[in-house]
Amino acid sequence: MIRLTVNGKAVTVASEPDTPLLWVLRDELQLKGAKYGCGIAQCGACTVLVGGQAVRACSLPVGDIDGSVVTTIEGLKADDAVQKAWIELQTPQCGFCQPGQIMSAKALLAETPRPDDAAIDAAMAGNLCRCGTYVRIRAAIKLASGQAA
Amino acid sequence: MTIALDRRGFLAAGGAFTLSFVVTPPARAQQAATASPWTAYLTIGADGRIALMSPTTEMGQGTHTAHAAIIADEIGVPLNWVKVDTPMPSDPFRRGGSMGSGGSAGVRAWWDPLRKVGASARQSLVNAAAAKAGVPAAEVTILDGRIRRGGRVLMSLGEAAKLAAAAPPAEGTPRDPATYRYVGKQTPRVDIPAKVRGEPVFSQDFTRPGMVYACAVLSPVWTGLARQINEAPALAVKGVQKVVAFPGGAAVIASTQWAAMKGAAALEVSWASTDYDGLSSAAISAAMLAGLDKDDEALEARADGDAAAALAGAARVVEADYEVPYLAHTPMEPWNVTIEPTADGGLELWGPFQTQDRNRNTAARAAGIDPAKVKLHTLMLGGGFGRRLGDDGLTSAVLTALAVRKPVKFFWRREDEIGQGYYRPAQVARLRAGLDAAGRVVGLHVRAAGPSMQNSFSPAGLARGKLDGTSVHTLADTLYRPGAYRVDWVRVDQVVPMAPWRAVGATQNGYFMEAFLDEVARAAGKDPVALRRELLSHDPRALKVIDRAAEAGDWGKPLPAGRARGFAFVYSYGSLCAQVVEASLENGEVKVHRVTCAIDCARVVTPDGALNQMEGGIVQGLSSALFEGIEVSNGSCANRNFDGYRIMRINEAPTVIETHFIENNEVIGGIGEPGLPPATPALVNALFALTGKPIRKLPIMAQLADA
Repeated sequence: MIRLTVNGKAVTVASEPDTPLLWVLRDELQLKGAKYGCGIAQCGACTVLVGGQAVRACSLPVGDIDGSVVTTIEGLKADDAVQKAWIELQTPQCGFCQPGQIMSAKALLAETPRPDDAAIDAAMAGNLCRCGTYVRIRAAIKLASGQAA
Repeated sequence: MTIALDRRGFLAAGGAFTLSFVVTPPARAQQAATASPWTAYLTIGADGRIALMSPTTEMGQGTHTAHAAIIADEIGVPLNWVKVDTPMPSDPFRRGGSMGSGGSAGVRAWWDPLRKVGASARQSLVNAAAAKAGVPAAEVTILDGRIRRGGRVLMSLGEAAKLAAAAPPAEGTPRDPATYRYVGKQTPRVDIPAKVRGEPVFSQDFTRPGMVYACAVLSPVWTGLARQINEAPALAVKGVQKVVAFPGGAAVIASTQWAAMKGAAALEVSWASTDYDGLSSAAISAAMLAGLDKDDEALEARADGDAAAALAGAARVVEADYEVPYLAHTPMEPWNVTIEPTADGGLELWGPFQTQDRNRNTAARAAGIDPAKVKLHTLMLGGGFGRRLGDDGLTSAVLTALAVRKPVKFFWRREDEIGQGYYRPAQVARLRAGLDAAGRVVGLHVRAAGPSMQNSFSPAGLARGKLDGTSVHTLADTLYRPGAYRVDWVRVDQVVPMAPWRAVGATQNGYFMEAFLDEVARAAGKDPVALRRELLSHDPRALKVIDRAAEAGDWGKPLPAGRARGFAFVYSYGSLCAQVVEASLENGEVKVHRVTCAIDCARVVTPDGALNQMEGGIVQGLSSALFEGIEVSNGSCANRNFDGYRIMRINEAPTVIETHFIENNEVIGGIGEPGLPPATPALVNALFALTGKPIRKLPIMAQLADA
């Protein structure tokens, strides 16, 4: 039996161990915030936190993370600073990639509380946005970190 | 699709709609519309909250917010009192006989009709309240959602709505836009909070009770059919229930999306050979280039004066051939649709539809039923860029649902989202400009050659000998006056399927024209902006856009060593757009430092939304310039996922994008598309200025690698 803590709740996983975490979240736990975009860890739409690190859930077998703490977009607090900044700067367009973007930003800010452009670009390069909201993503991360955007 | 603007208000309003003064459930919208054209759009609850049926599809371009702002301003209510939904296809929401979104029409086409809708609702409420109060209607106004006379509140909007429900609807006259409170101001997008919270608003997230998943397995070769299918390895996957075959492939049915994908990977299919099994990018390219020489097949798109004579008599002729590859749209959400066969033999569909009537009719045809028996719900699109204009996956999905006979989510994997095509066409062009002894342009001939997108995309096709307007888009209708001017096009069809791609023909033709003009400027010893000003000297509106971009973009001012600027101007979708791109080459990679954009779209309805569209269009234009292109090999797309089809990442995006809007009293122009076309050639021209070598084929990175 694989056990996880997902958004603060203890969960016993019924899916087979080779099932990617993304599909445990979406198919089994009905958490639809993390998206399927490419299935090969190239687009980042599936990004969630495992033990505080941003991971591509589409390519991570759940059997590899038994006992881990998982945080998805649904697990962020209502007044989350990153989400507030995202709304303040009207960052999303279509929005499909944005839960993944926000979770990558959460991991970045946990590690680097006041990132510059280079640190943002390095941490966020795994998250594609076809709408091209990159300039606003940079500004929103700075705003969330208390820096002037 | 329902967007909760003010969640508490929305919940409170939920039970009050029976008291609304116009009750128009979607199925009755058409009937209600006959009585009064505007009632199909609006329902006003007893609490004054307004439900707006917006005729456009929201895919992140912000039209739902623009429409809500127009209605809020016309009636006189706070913006968050307006809740936006997408109706099922019916007459009030159709343009040209069909419901759908495209052509950057979301605001420019619906600006006048929605103002009229809002004004008529306001007048009806005012009349009803005035009659009740026994005062002249002319003395009654609506402000902040309250019905007022002088400084006094007569009644709430909801009370007036109850009265108006019993009275005949009135025609209203739209307010002066100068009095608007939301239109033209900073207006938060109505769809953003739910998206940021990660709520399940997208088609991919939608579920129905008892729903199963169907993962498509499609022929890698366009038009290919399955010869033999071995179901056993797929059925051996835990959770897989069934395999459904259809022309062109099969679907693996499973209880979860992952099991369906795993089953699809296990399914063994051998594909019948086609006439196109050997097709390659090189062969397509060669055929198009050969087409440039076929004078007798060239269809005339524009002929001002005698371009051949002007070129023959010119002191000097500048000539260059340009080429672009097929491009994928790559919306971040791979295509999917949920279909439920209904008890009456009909179908109910939920999906990311952008052409509602086209999809409804296709579903009906596939099922052999009347379109009236197809209920079609539009969910939030995880990106469009033109890819959701089609209906190409739907027939297989309907056949699968009919075979499964329960609710089914039919979906494509990313490899099919990219690999099945419906691309921006590949195209080539030969441009020849004649200069007189003084270096003035006296004639220009643009010969384009390539496949007909319209033939591939439109159900009716395009007859041989007919011009495909998209192939000469922004060439035939350019604002430039280059003396004698001829545009023609040679059709060189391929099996590769095509569709409009954001900004359509403006993407390739804007590049051809603008990159070539920089070559002409270089040959004539002129500054690129000065050359464009000469070609637009008859058009003060265009000159203003050129000058604004040049000035704001520091055109002509000194730059650090190793950096250069490029300029481009493209008129498309009724908007005039000029851009300056500042770029450098660092370790073989292109670095875009700054993009300055000036756009005249006459009127900006949601300034921040428009700004976002400019930023996104510019990034997509730069992305396609630098990286994008379908590699055709063995009759199929070889780069089927983001490891092979490269699109711009944040570390490659411009450091700064700034946009300047120019407003006036001209006809309102589009915003969703016009920001994209100039970005591609402006970058190309910056690199030309930097290296002295023109870039005549895209993507740029492939050219730099070959150099």
